[in-house]
Amino acid sequence: MHISDGLMAPLVWIAGMAIALAFVAFAFHKVGRRMEDRTVPYMAILAAGIFLAQMLNFPIIGGTTGHLVGAALAVVLLGPWGAIAVIFTILVIQSLVFGDGGITALGLNTLNMAIVGSLAAWGVMKLTPKRFKMPGIAVAAWASVFLGATACAIELAISHTIDPSYGIDGIIALPAMMGLHSVIGVGEAIITTGVIAFLIKVAPEAMSMGRESEPKGECDAA
Amino acid sequence: MQRRFLICGIAILAAFSVGLIGFFAVSVGKPDGLESVLDGQGVKGSSPVWTAPLDYGSDFPSALCMGLIGFSLVLAITFGYLKVAAKRKHQGAK
Repeated sequence: MHISDGLMAPLVWIAGMAIALAFVAFAFHKVGRRMEDRTVPYMAILAAGIFLAQMLNFPIIGGTTGHLVGAALAVVLLGPWGAIAVIFTILVIQSLVFGDGGITALGLNTLNMAIVGSLAAWGVMKLTPKRFKMPGIAVAAWASVFLGATACAIELAISHTIDPSYGIDGIIALPAMMGLHSVIGVGEAIITTGVIAFLIKVAPEAMSMGRESEPKGECDAA
Repeated sequence: MQRRFLICGIAILAAFSVGLIGFFAVSVGKPDGLESVLDGQGVKGSSPVWTAPLDYGSDFPSALCMGLIGFSLVLAITFGYLKVAAKRKHQGAK
């Protein structure tokens, strides 16, 4: 779901960059203010692990593949602001070092995968009763991909409306992106719940360590 | 604590190398969701504004190597930033 250079109208990617930078600055501010020394290696290794997971595409339908975004996984383990900071860091390295996602599209990629993905997952988890924790995490993971892709489709549609040489008509972009990512989201849900279930079993303390930096109640559904 | 994170890192890299085998068996060269939609409409982006020094590799050994580089970079940058942030927080609290 990484947008490359030249796909979106300049007005759209500039607006995306401005919104993303505001959120990212706030996320780093929140993370920095509450960071504890002993959680640093934990956050760093989680970020590096999500980077690797994003490299591994899995097949879905019709010769299309999807990959883990990791926003819901990061939200469960680090809270929403930690997740935004971590996914943003990954996106910067992917773009600058590996050419995965355009520099001009970095703001939109951050908006879709880090911000919309993390906040969607966090919102679902907040709304889920504690007794439905694992199904809630699965739905949160699915929603993070689905809503991130929907945001991307809206950006494609707005770009096309501004200048038809950019983006895709919304009538095509929205159902196509939402349809494919509703399936990719299932893969995200399976991987996320699998990793969380594994961590609960082998390292239950990991479920709270990364969120020690979050104030109580900010992400208490996980 | 440090040993625990070392083991965790090795486990993640081991899982990645196994996943990479699956990736090259079934997913390599196939478009992701967005690429598939763009391909279907014949839409192509312009040439990149920035030419990245690396890519993800085209075969198992190079992808494994790139994964290791990316893993190390993300780990080092995140660790460095957060260490500085934690140190600043402690200095501010004193």
